[in-house]
Amino acid sequence: MTWRTIGSVRKSPFTQLDFRSKLMIMFLATFLAFLWESPTLMGGLALLIAVLCLIAGIRLSYLGNVLRLMLPFYGLLLVTHGFWNTNVGRTPVWITPAAWWLIGGKLRLTVEGLAYGFMVIFRTLTLVLVIPLVIFTTDLNALIVGLVRIRVPYKIAFVFSATLRFVPLLFEEIRAIAEAQRLRGLAVEKMNLLKRLRVYSRIAVPLILGAMTRSQQIEVVLAAKAFSGSPDRTYRHESSLRAADYIVLVLCFGALLAALLLRVTTGLGRFGLPGLR
Amino acid sequence: MASYDPVVRIENLSYQYPRSPGFVLRDINLSIRKGEFLGIIGPTGAGKTTLCQALNGIVPQFYGGRFFGHVTVGGLDTLEFPISILAQRVAVVFQDPETQLIANSVEDEVAFGLENVRVPRDEMRERIPWALEIMRLDGMEKKHPSELSGGEKQKLAIAAALALQPEVLVLDEPTSQLDPVGSQEVLAAVRELNAQLGMTVILVSHASEEMAEFVDCVAILANGEFVDIDVPDRIFARADLLRQYALRPPQVTSFYIQLRDRSFAPPSIPVTLEKATQTYEAIRTQIKVNPLAAPDRAAEEPSGSLLLSMQGVEHVYPDGTKALRGVSLDVREGEYLVIVGQNGAGKTTLVKHFLHLLEPTVGQVLLNGQDVCDLEVSELAQRIGFVAQNPDNQIFNTTVEAEVAFALPNLGIGRAELAARVEESLYTMGLADYRKWHPLALPKGDRARVVIAAVLAMRPDVLIFDEPTTGQDYYGAKRILDVSRQLHQAGKTVIVITHHLYLMPGYAERVVVMGKGVIVLDAPIRRAFHETALLRSTYLAPPQIVQFAQGIASRENVTLPILTPEELAACITGRRDKA
Repeated sequence: MTWRTIGSVRKSPFTQLDFRSKLMIMFLATFLAFLWESPTLMGGLALLIAVLCLIAGIRLSYLGNVLRLMLPFYGLLLVTHGFWNTNVGRTPVWITPAAWWLIGGKLRLTVEGLAYGFMVIFRTLTLVLVIPLVIFTTDLNALIVGLVRIRVPYKIAFVFSATLRFVPLLFEEIRAIAEAQRLRGLAVEKMNLLKRLRVYSRIAVPLILGAMTRSQQIEVVLAAKAFSGSPDRTYRHESSLRAADYIVLVLCFGALLAALLLRVTTGLGRFGLPGLR
Repeated sequence: MASYDPVVRIENLSYQYPRSPGFVLRDINLSIRKGEFLGIIGPTGAGKTTLCQALNGIVPQFYGGRFFGHVTVGGLDTLEFPISILAQRVAVVFQDPETQLIANSVEDEVAFGLENVRVPRDEMRERIPWALEIMRLDGMEKKHPSELSGGEKQKLAIAAALALQPEVLVLDEPTSQLDPVGSQEVLAAVRELNAQLGMTVILVSHASEEMAEFVDCVAILANGEFVDIDVPDRIFARADLLRQYALRPPQVTSFYIQLRDRSFAPPSIPVTLEKATQTYEAIRTQIKVNPLAAPDRAAEEPSGSLLLSMQGVEHVYPDGTKALRGVSLDVREGEYLVIVGQNGAGKTTLVKHFLHLLEPTVGQVLLNGQDVCDLEVSELAQRIGFVAQNPDNQIFNTTVEAEVAFALPNLGIGRAELAARVEESLYTMGLADYRKWHPLALPKGDRARVVIAAVLAMRPDVLIFDEPTTGQDYYGAKRILDVSRQLHQAGKTVIVITHHLYLMPGYAERVVVMGKGVIVLDAPIRRAFHETALLRSTYLAPPQIVQFAQGIASRENVTLPILTPEELAACITGRRDKA
């Protein structure tokens, strides 16, 4: 299992962009996600980011996995906002039946609450999806050079890229340890949650020791390759902005200003639903 | 050609790691001339890796500890210059190709060191293709390192080291995880570097045959001290000395030592296959080669009842890699089977199907006629014990005893039975004295024995060992294989995965050769080891003695299906002796 950027498998407009341009896209998306409260606009933004992910070569199955992982959290968001968001909730669609003990007639599920819940879901989706859009499409070397060019200290940039590189190895190690436990007759699939947790806690010992051994090996390897963490080094990869990057940067900056201006002057992005006040 | 200027000078070097009980290196003195190719051999724990790391300052600059004496490389004292400067003079290539490749493409891997030593971009553009071309990796620049074979990965690590244009190249067991052809590929490239560029090379290896073939001089390191330094011909001819330090001579050397002991007196004891053949010509008139009868095929057929059966199994990994392509294999009760093949041939993938760790994409795997996919891994584990490659991933407890007992409560074993089984396993594996030790406090070879003991305690009918001899010295490997033989003799079915073919005679009965996801040969060991062309087609090479015997067999027009130096020596008699 290794870290691979999408660019090494498939070229797309995103893999060609400089990391700084992609960072600007990420900043714009994040800014808009917090500026806007309109469910429609936020839905459009989340959809746009998802489509961009697909264009960039991120697999549909990955997006599906993200959605599946977030689903319980999204359910909770809808319920809490639907019933308890009193700031926006006006129009009830359902009220708990009077016969229900304690909560009968007291809880109102509102259209606005649900809409607000959806808006928060779209916001988190935007934030969650924009990260792979930027990170997965950037070669690690380009990422380091890009970070150094925006004045992030080289050591931090290297640690960031090393983490991306070795997290898959850590998962591989977890899988191997869990496999070894099953091979000692541990029927994890038949255990209750408490027992399972106890079993998983045992993974920690070999995992931590393995990670420590591996990190020491890597440190030795890095030292042998003359790595000292010093920013005083050269780079094979160039980080230069091309015409496409300038266009993206200008467009992003323009969009950011326009969105801010429209929000202040016309209220664009304020929470609301068509046909409802 | 070596010049007389020493490029490495080690004076009175002693070293102790911060938490080690004693000195790992003791009073080492050594001068290595420019252009020399030095081999270092020694048992596990002799201090070989520590010595390698002392050459570029990692010892003591990275580890700390107590360091006495001086090491100078290219005139730089390793205590006075930082590792990043020393790394430009001494490049070290390590054992495991996986952990030393850190970039996302072949060319970026080579560039990494150059970037660290501030080589300008234009110069990098010259040095990267130069280093890749020397290691014959040109054309692979854009590939991800994970797409390379084991041999190619190690050559990439060497190319990355080479790009720094060091004066000394240190290779710390660079071939221990490679298949025989991969090893040969790496060492041939290094030999060329040494011969053509005059680069000084220091090679640490357990493989005597490759050491004898490639190096100018061999040093024996044991218990942190140099025992002897001499040319390979003299070092490897000293059988007693080698045995004393858990080392072994090349197989052809061992054969001639046995002839010498029987008063055949070859003019010299050869250490390489080529010289062995020349020596044979010199003594040919004095000796007679008695043919060894080819084994009776019917007698070699396994007779036990069918235990494991794999029928037309294909396996495709989620990334699309087709690891098995229609594999069919039957394993009978009481067999000792060895599965060999190049790195990435699909050996581990195959055995993982027996354990239901993987499911066939196409086909079926049966255990006693039952589809293993209908059984849980935990159920199968009671019948098939699996000892995976890395023992450290298989240790979860704080004492050896607890580790051995770990599986038993899961199997519903009562307290009295549990204690009896643990006791038995500890004694079988020679671990009774270490029962209260933390498993990770033991050396790696012993940690592997802890895992085997834990698997044995489950009393499985089948035992599968995945590369049990990797990283072990000769006697360490033999100790583990002796246990496998003991279990086999006790009626267990044993399957071993390895590419150390020379270790398997005397243990395995049947050999399954895999290449690129298919079984290319399934035969008794005596026949399989003599299928030289077929073995080579899957990047394996028969043991040196088999190659040598084949040469004699065709010269004398006799059949010699031997597997060991002892067997070949037994076929030789004097011209006047009775066979």
